[in-house]
Amino acid sequence: MRRFVEDIKKYKNYIVYSSKSQLKSEIANSHLSWLWWILDPLLFMLVYSFIALVVFGKGEKYFPIFVFIGLNCWQFFEKSVKQSVKLVNANKQIVSKVYIPKYILILIKMGFNGFKMLVSFSLVVLLMIIWRVPVSLNILYIIPVFAVLIVVTFGFSTFMLHFGVFVEDLSNVITVVLKLVFYMTGIFYSITSRVPQPYSSLLLKFNPVALIVEDLRRCMIYDSVPHRTALLVWFIAGSILSVLGIKIIYKYENSYVKVM
Amino acid sequence: MCEQNYAIEVDNLKVRYKCLNKISIKKSLMSLKKSNVEVFEAVRGVSFKIPQGQIMGVVGKNGSGKSTMLKAIAGIFAADEGTINLHNHSVSLLSIGVGFDKRLTGRENIFLSGLLLGFTEDKIKEKLNEIIEFSELGEFIDRPVKTYSSGMYSKLAFSITAILETEIMLLDEVLSVGDAKFKKKSYKKMKSLIENSDRTVIIVSHSSETLKKLCDTILWLHEGKVKMIGPIDEVLPLYDEFMS
Repeated sequence: MRRFVEDIKKYKNYIVYSSKSQLKSEIANSHLSWLWWILDPLLFMLVYSFIALVVFGKGEKYFPIFVFIGLNCWQFFEKSVKQSVKLVNANKQIVSKVYIPKYILILIKMGFNGFKMLVSFSLVVLLMIIWRVPVSLNILYIIPVFAVLIVVTFGFSTFMLHFGVFVEDLSNVITVVLKLVFYMTGIFYSITSRVPQPYSSLLLKFNPVALIVEDLRRCMIYDSVPHRTALLVWFIAGSILSVLGIKIIYKYENSYVKVM
Repeated sequence: MCEQNYAIEVDNLKVRYKCLNKISIKKSLMSLKKSNVEVFEAVRGVSFKIPQGQIMGVVGKNGSGKSTMLKAIAGIFAADEGTINLHNHSVSLLSIGVGFDKRLTGRENIFLSGLLLGFTEDKIKEKLNEIIEFSELGEFIDRPVKTYSSGMYSKLAFSITAILETEIMLLDEVLSVGDAKFKKKSYKKMKSLIENSDRTVIIVSHSSETLKKLCDTILWLHEGKVKMIGPIDEVLPLYDEFMS
């Protein structure tokens, strides 16, 4: 663990700079540049609103904001985990030439995806102002909820990174699994009110993203308290996953290059 | 034993490639029993010591484990057996264009590459002008790297690694970059870098000419083992004879 802290200190600047450059290089060539970071979730929000409101005729209070919160969290989680599978391979050029703790690559990706999430969350805030959503001090709970999101994402990503190097078709499997988890997360429906018991509480217990999304909505738009115990449990679980993942990466990272 | 300042001590280094390549899920389901893993040993027990400030050339035919050994010393591969002791010196495998993002400008790439190689932002800022000047890119430095010609690309890459210096440098055939004029210049720069008496250098090259001019000692690798190690005049003639 001490090595982890030292490495983070050492590569801190690189993580920040590299995330920034990836953001810059992504917008360098598109006409609408950074507008895409807002347009992308906005358009998806319209798609899901169409499905929920027009096709199924079932909405929730503040529906656009409701979908937006879910979508932003989900995309952060999904992209980070999915990209981790191919991360070592995608950075072959770096990995085969200098030593770098491989989870640094995950942190760079998370910085990249996290910044995009922040940008689109500013839109959530804007919508909340337009709709005059009442807020109270409960909104401060978003800080621990985001902490859980980050830890859990990092934990899963470390394992994806490790196994992604050795297992060629992991990305196919992960794509399907993530799609399933997507529908089990309640992006465009509410798990508590649409899913019958006992499944709804099972989903909220065992799917960390569903829990995080649900709790973000609770403290941001429904002015209530999140599931504090469940969040704490997932925070601990996420931390354990991360520690194990980091240990595995430290142990095997020097043979990653040999496999490629 | 007399107390000499060694910069690099390599003892009985062995590096193996396991030919497990990638597994697909289908394959591992089909054959649940463990398949035989073919093991190829690229470096088979190499030991040497280099005193601080010395320059060692490494020769050997293709596939004799030269590059693998360099990568192990640079910390990219784990040694399967044996130890490498660098005595806490900073080390870099002089490699061209590490971590470049072609859509960004040359200036941004200098920072990206420099930070990746473990330098601080201040140190890079301090050397920035020197790098830009040395690379002869002029106003192209603020254009995206993808617009560069291949020669300009390698000039920039070379300048970064040559000017951001580390205590131990490992070179793998990088002495020919750019046009004739830049080649001469980079050779000169290389020479002055290498001749700095604090710096320890390992050069892998096939050109006896270059090695003769630059090195103090020569390590001859043959099929992963040390065939000979010693002063240039002893090893190189024998090597040349062996190769012809």
